[in-house]
Amino acid sequence: MTLVHLTLTVNGRAYDLDVEPRRTLADALREDCGLTGTHLGCEHGVCGACTVLVDGEAVRSCLMFAVQCDGAVIRTVEGLAGADGTQHPLQAAFSAEHALQCGFCTPGFLMLAAGALEADPGVVGDAERLRELLTSNLCRCTGYEAIRRAVVAAAGDQHPGQPESGR
Amino acid sequence: MSATSDVIGARLPRREDDRLVRGAGCYVGDLRIEGCLDAVFVRSEAAHGVLRGVDLDAARALPRVAAAWAYADLPFLPDVPPMMDPDSVRGRPWPPLATDRVRYAGQPVAIVVGDDRYVAEDARDAVRADIDPLPVLLDPTDAAGSDVQLFPGSGNVAAEKEFGDPIDGAVWEQATVVVEASYRQQLLAHTYMENRAILVRPEDDGGLTVWVSHQAPHRLRRDIAGGFGLREEQVHVIVPDVGGAFGGKSETWPEYFVVVAAARRLGRPVRWLEDRAEALTGPPHGRGQNQRVRMAADADGRILAYELHIDADVGGYPHTGSFVPMATSMMATGAYAIPQVHVRTRAVVTNTAPTAPYRGAGRPEAASAIERTVDLLAHRLGRDPGEVRRRNFIWPDAFPYDTPTGFTYDSGDYAKALEVALNELDYDGWRAEQARRAAVGEPPIGIGLCTYVERSGAGEEFGAVEACADGSFVALSGCCSTGQGHETSFPQVVAAVLGVEPQRVRLIERDTAIIPQGIGSFASRSMQTGGAALHRAAGRLIDAARQRIAERWAVPVAEVTYEAGVLTAGERSASMADVAAGGVLRADETYAPPEAFPFGAYGAVVEVDPELGKVSVLRLVAVDDYGVVVNPLIVDGQGRGSTVQGIGQALYEDVRYDSDGLVETRSLLDYLVPTISELPPTRFAETCTPNPNTPLGAKGAGEAGCIGAPPAIVNAVADALGLRERDALQMPLTPYTCWSAAR
Amino acid sequence: MKPAPFSYVVARSADDVVAALADGRTDVLAGGQSLVLEMNYRARRPARLVDINRVPGFDRLEPDGDVLRVGPLVRHRAFEGDTVPGPLGTLLRRVVHHIAHPPIRARGTLLGSLAYAHPAAEWPAVVTALGADLELTGRDGHRTVSAADFFRGPFDTARRAGELLTELRVPLLPPGTRVGFAEHRRTHASFAQLAVIAAVTLTQGRVSAARIGLVNAADRPVRAHGAEAALLNRPLDDPAITEAGRVAAEQDADPRPQPHADLGYQRHAVAVLTRRALAQARDQG
Repeated sequence: MTLVHLTLTVNGRAYDLDVEPRRTLADALREDCGLTGTHLGCEHGVCGACTVLVDGEAVRSCLMFAVQCDGAVIRTVEGLAGADGTQHPLQAAFSAEHALQCGFCTPGFLMLAAGALEADPGVVGDAERLRELLTSNLCRCTGYEAIRRAVVAAAGDQHPGQPESGR
Repeated sequence: MSATSDVIGARLPRREDDRLVRGAGCYVGDLRIEGCLDAVFVRSEAAHGVLRGVDLDAARALPRVAAAWAYADLPFLPDVPPMMDPDSVRGRPWPPLATDRVRYAGQPVAIVVGDDRYVAEDARDAVRADIDPLPVLLDPTDAAGSDVQLFPGSGNVAAEKEFGDPIDGAVWEQATVVVEASYRQQLLAHTYMENRAILVRPEDDGGLTVWVSHQAPHRLRRDIAGGFGLREEQVHVIVPDVGGAFGGKSETWPEYFVVVAAARRLGRPVRWLEDRAEALTGPPHGRGQNQRVRMAADADGRILAYELHIDADVGGYPHTGSFVPMATSMMATGAYAIPQVHVRTRAVVTNTAPTAPYRGAGRPEAASAIERTVDLLAHRLGRDPGEVRRRNFIWPDAFPYDTPTGFTYDSGDYAKALEVALNELDYDGWRAEQARRAAVGEPPIGIGLCTYVERSGAGEEFGAVEACADGSFVALSGCCSTGQGHETSFPQVVAAVLGVEPQRVRLIERDTAIIPQGIGSFASRSMQTGGAALHRAAGRLIDAARQRIAERWAVPVAEVTYEAGVLTAGERSASMADVAAGGVLRADETYAPPEAFPFGAYGAVVEVDPELGKVSVLRLVAVDDYGVVVNPLIVDGQGRGSTVQGIGQALYEDVRYDSDGLVETRSLLDYLVPTISELPPTRFAETCTPNPNTPLGAKGAGEAGCIGAPPAIVNAVADALGLRERDALQMPLTPYTCWSAAR
Repeated sequence: MKPAPFSYVVARSADDVVAALADGRTDVLAGGQSLVLEMNYRARRPARLVDINRVPGFDRLEPDGDVLRVGPLVRHRAFEGDTVPGPLGTLLRRVVHHIAHPPIRARGTLLGSLAYAHPAAEWPAVVTALGADLELTGRDGHRTVSAADFFRGPFDTARRAGELLTELRVPLLPPGTRVGFAEHRRTHASFAQLAVIAAVTLTQGRVSAARIGLVNAADRPVRAHGAEAALLNRPLDDPAITEAGRVAAEQDADPRPQPHADLGYQRHAVAVLTRRALAQARDQG
């Protein structure tokens, strides 16, 4: 077994890792970086519980290998809140709207929405685009409607043109 | 919020949320336990066969592999215990690792343990299981009559029961109309987002700490202790955050025993995190019934008799599924007063993966059978389906009502629920639209109804409340939240009784070292039973405090009054904290209220693509009556979530086997659960008929949508297609199914 | 669901890729959205992956004369915007929204989809219908294979061991061409049960050129030559469209068993979707 050395920059912190090439980004985050907020729900890219931002883009971390991300800037659910612990508007809105029950899919939905709102907060103004975005991930508890409401509400709370820093 | 009565019914945001939205929740897979190894199971690739041998040498030779063991290596493994109904498993033992026979594809034949899941899977792939195939049985009706016996000498019918009384044959002759139909309740996959998971750490004193994603930790403790010859207090079961359960995490699964055995033998912590390929292969699967119905009615639409025959698929072992069709049988008559009722039910072993309760657990199957049949009856009589329902309802003055199948319904107002549903749906407006479309040749629409009754709660539950010297209170419950939000809703109940702010009450559950006894969370029982137990415990805490103050102040206890956390007698007063400072102040309660019977009415409007058969749900209305609702935010969420699962059963979900008995739907690209794009416009409403049997007044909430939505949708599709015979219309209603049924 | 072991090499040039593929046991890692899925199921166990994500220029997407050139790293998402002008851009834009969902489209590549050749994938039928050429690069240099010859069956293409799919060249559609796309699937998480792509050029009110592609209507993507012929020199009216649908179903389609559909239903659905795609082309262009 040959290990590969790489550096992941996650939520602004550099992690030096030695991993097998086959280690998925999800497992590297969970097992090697100790960031267990990223969940594994299906390991074949359908459920989206493992969604994280890689260089600003929402991706399935179960369908990427950690070695592909050497040098990339990664954000996970643990990096959403402010440095002082203040909840991100999406986090607050998910709670206020009861957009989570068991919470297992929640980090994936949050990162999916965070990436989209940062790229273009206008996504919530277009019902079809919002549906297309949120159809990316699966939730078995909420019936989705509350998730949609939460993302719309959070977009209203974010200041347009001030995307989150790459904390 | 100021304390008190308005705490019940307050939409308090959930305390669980903060950690969960930060990714700071802790599911079993998130635990960091020093030295923990990963287990993977070698599973049978045959659905039925004789196991000749298991070659583990190559697996054992791999680096970083700690163990590779088959049954022969772990001969002390206890058999899997039955969840209920021990008679059904007599002569049908379920060894956690296969011994000489495999009875479903996916059955564990060996365990491999490695430093991580990657190497453990490498080792799994290096194992060779030698299996001689046997004929495969996949249909319960076929299996019941087959010469091929899964358990030679014991027959394939694991349980057979009758409910009600045989129907007088004359009724079929004399009735104005008799309808007959066959329905298939397809197999479903629970598809909790977090798959099953367990981590076992052997302790120096010979005991075990078990972290597990589960619904019933005390039962699991009992089963592990019993199976491995330990005292219950040596087994410490902790349920951390759980990513959904839906009935599939109540059981003591074979994998759990094997992980316990491996951890003990290795003297190291071992975890098994099921993956999605395993989860979709099952067990568990839900539903899986062949139903045959016959119903007679007079010219006015009064139902005279109802007969239901069920052949239930319980998979390769009956341990977890055989009681589910009995629950269907007991709920057979739904919301209706029917003079003659007879149900015959068989639980049959087949070579599918074992079935188990799945959200609704027997009630959706019952509601679907009778609601589809009542609809068919109305169609044959040329009467409005709402009118036929009303004509046969059990009316409010008839409660408590003894059903012919053995339940006593506590309360209900079924006509009211139906009326609300018809109004919310704009039933008359859609009927007019239906006629308009038919007249001008636009795509047909159909309207379907379902008035369901379900059963919630069963047995006893433990609850305790303790006052603390710092002014706070601790509530302890034997229930086990799997995502519902007990940390929020149970303190509401206690706070309401104590007259204090809910923030002063903290809940502890899901830990057998702290909670002395418990049953768990399933059958929509948590608030109805566990909440009622806490309600009583809080009341008894007040009594205990008054008693203690009366002794301290030497006054009659009748002179000590309690309000909002303060005890008063004459000029003197003391807080609960003061009393607690003088010694432990706690009240324990074990309470077993009767079962309750929540009910409701659902309505659906669908359009069916006349060319391709694709169903679009234009409107869905859900009216549920859960009795008193403690936290509407949480209960609404249960209604919405269960309704979308019900839509999944109606239109999309189906565990599909090939003719060899292998599951074809092993990915979420094949096993289709609804996404947000499949969400129809839905309205929710409620009526409130309090539970007359508990002071809290709550009935169960959590499974309604799985029960009410599917028959409403199926009836709407049958209506749209104008079907006289409906046997071809079986769930899931794929485009092809609807297209075929219409031809 | 963890992949079997493999070694990993990063390519910096097409030559690197070709050199890596020479051992016959190496797979190309582009978007990875199907490859890694299969590796997680251990349905594929390459001994090595060559990662082409860092090859400069592989993300080229540009019109060049009368063709659109698409490099091996052009993600599905590139076709969501207005990068590609004219009717071809309109068609690709309509199709791409049916491919998986945004996070998959942000990683997965068009050429990867062609190389994978999933029978229910949209892109193979699009390029087949449009008469595109594919450039393959191996140790012996480049060769060009028409889309019609490239797809041989489910997950089976003309790509030889050691070759990399280096470019797709899609003929631009002439101005005035009207395009349509109709898809039938069970949920938004599922593959297409069937889909039809249509591009119709009208000259003086009559069809002067038609390109129709069928997704999942045979063991490989189908160009519906029969249906195209049925349209030629006719106005794009209801009778012509209905006739094209009938011909597509009876002559062009060659459906294979699939769950939740018998062969009769599949042929019927080909007729319906062909009509719908053509009607969309006519009415919404």
